[in-house]
Amino acid sequence: MAKSTTLKEKYPPGDFAIWIIIYVELVTFGLLFLGYAFSRRADVAMFNESQLMLNQTSGFINTLILVTSSYFVIKAVKSITSMSEENGAEANAKASKWLLLAIGCGVAFGFVKGAEFYHIFGQGINLSTNKFFMFYIMLTAFHFMHVMLGSFVLFIIYKKTKTVGYTFGDYRGIETGASYWHMVDLLWIVLFPLVYIIR
Amino acid sequence: MKRYLELVWAILAILTVFAYLLGYLKIISTFFVAVLLGTTFIKGQLVIDYFMGLKDVRLRYRIIPTLWLSIIITLIGVAYYLPIAPSQ
Repeated sequence: MAKSTTLKEKYPPGDFAIWIIIYVELVTFGLLFLGYAFSRRADVAMFNESQLMLNQTSGFINTLILVTSSYFVIKAVKSITSMSEENGAEANAKASKWLLLAIGCGVAFGFVKGAEFYHIFGQGINLSTNKFFMFYIMLTAFHFMHVMLGSFVLFIIYKKTKTVGYTFGDYRGIETGASYWHMVDLLWIVLFPLVYIIR
Repeated sequence: MKRYLELVWAILAILTVFAYLLGYLKIISTFFVAVLLGTTFIKGQLVIDYFMGLKDVRLRYRIIPTLWLSIIITLIGVAYYLPIAPSQ
């Protein structure tokens, strides 16, 4: 029987535990975002002046990279979840290609972020420079760690697709990893305008 | 609408270019901050609905990230627009 698209699913995709982690991460980053936004009020001029030292272009490129990687990941998930009992190998092969592209995006994000940190730290800026850079380094470095972990998770899923590890009706693992990756994307979508653009 | 994921990606990319241009062209103003926060909400909600796949799950699960996004963006707006008391 074909599944009706109008019926609501009972639970979010993936393992339920990942959603607990996602909700906790959202709250943690949310507090940091608000810490930044309200701390800015104490010295708007300093925040605006410090923000000029950031490279908005690298923030922009990294945003494009993350939204594109999220697209690749959902395409991989759709390849697996729409498989039939007969085309498992084909679906896994398709998903592995999308995942490889997404992992490439994770690596590209790392290079852009690494270049940005190299430039910032090369100017002698650190956590103690001022409150703006304290938040900037904390938020972006913490987020960067999530990108690296997410890329590793995608790589594990990629390895599984290469061995046709996902079968008809058994795709919770890829949905779990994908949900984590999309959370990383969601966080950056708020972080980019807040830290790089708004002044 | 078969290619809705491509459409979602295109909207996300266009809104990202828009945000970047506001900063790059240095035309960010109090008005454009409101627009930027609005577009950020749209981008976040698109990710929640179509990439995270929460559009088709029960409201009680979908509402958590949506509420998070709404509260965070509203409070960022409050922090930006609330008048700052002059220092003594």
